[in-house]
Amino acid sequence: MSASVFVTPVLIILLLIYCARKKVNCYGTFANGAKGAIQLCIDILPFLVTIFVAIQLFRISGLTNLTADLLAPVMDFIGIPKELTELMIIRPFSGSGSLALAEQIFSTYGADSYIARCASVIMGSSETIFYVATIYLSQTKAKRLIYAIPVALVATLVSSIIACQLCRIM
Amino acid sequence: MVLASLVTLLFVNPEDSINAMMNAGADAVNLTIKLLGIYAVWLGIIALVDACGLSEKIAALLDPVIDWLFGKTDSNTKKYIALNMSANILGMGNACTPTGLKAMQGLDKQNNYSLTASTAMIMLIVINATSIQLIPTTIIGLRQQYGSMSSSDIILPTIISTLVSTVLGVILVKICAKIHKKREISRKNRENLPKKRENK
Repeated sequence: MSASVFVTPVLIILLLIYCARKKVNCYGTFANGAKGAIQLCIDILPFLVTIFVAIQLFRISGLTNLTADLLAPVMDFIGIPKELTELMIIRPFSGSGSLALAEQIFSTYGADSYIARCASVIMGSSETIFYVATIYLSQTKAKRLIYAIPVALVATLVSSIIACQLCRIM
Repeated sequence: MVLASLVTLLFVNPEDSINAMMNAGADAVNLTIKLLGIYAVWLGIIALVDACGLSEKIAALLDPVIDWLFGKTDSNTKKYIALNMSANILGMGNACTPTGLKAMQGLDKQNNYSLTASTAMIMLIVINATSIQLIPTTIIGLRQQYGSMSSSDIILPTIISTLVSTVLGVILVKICAKIHKKREISRKNRENLPKKRENK
């Protein structure tokens, strides 16, 4: 148990006290805000279905393994252990998928091994880029992202390289 | 990507493809229902933050940063961007999305609902897609589960690397926005030149 577990509950308690002092109608306000979630999820669903189908097909067709094999030497060259190639490919698409891969790495190499530590840092410092972009765009008329995804991918790749170097020395 | 996957599947194992698609659809629905609950709670809390006037205070605090990152925005959008960023930093991943989406709606309106995303919209997506989560609780828990002796020794490298990705992301967006703007201007100039001649 680390201190971080307490951050959110404490903040919410403080918020409730503050609201009580300002005499806000907590019950009604909370319920009214929560109502917004329904429309939000209706908007998100079609996009989620689309991206989930695409990811699932990509994975079971074996194309992920193929790309991983092709990219392994490149990864090795830029200093990312080649055992992590598949994780790096899945990470931008699927949170649960990459978490399952990380578990696999932990059980194969041991949680304290260099590879497992690299995997942990990569998991902790990156996001499911395509998923974020999909959900955020579901709310807008704008559909052309121009350079957003390449920028996010490059930034993540660079930070992953740095992560692997940091794991070597720290 | 979908097409390539389907073609490969045709050779590898055709009967699985439809199954996989249906399962993925069901997974997406399951996730959405789960998210509905999570978003409902967070949107409720956000409504409280809003009602007691805290969100204006957070926005005022982050005002210079938001101005630099997103340019001119109206106060309502600014509020949601501020909430989104603070949720990001505090590692409340599930609170980020609903605030981010509200901010997106505001930015979309400012963008006159154009088909091309504005720089501010791209900035918001990149910041959220590079994650500024400070303490990776899920991963630490997972390492403990797999018998790690020092499950939290990854915190420092994670913080450094996540800062690198976010800062780099922000810088790259700034650079790309400038290049993009220049290109747009030169394109417009090219389009306008012949017209001007005709006018003369």
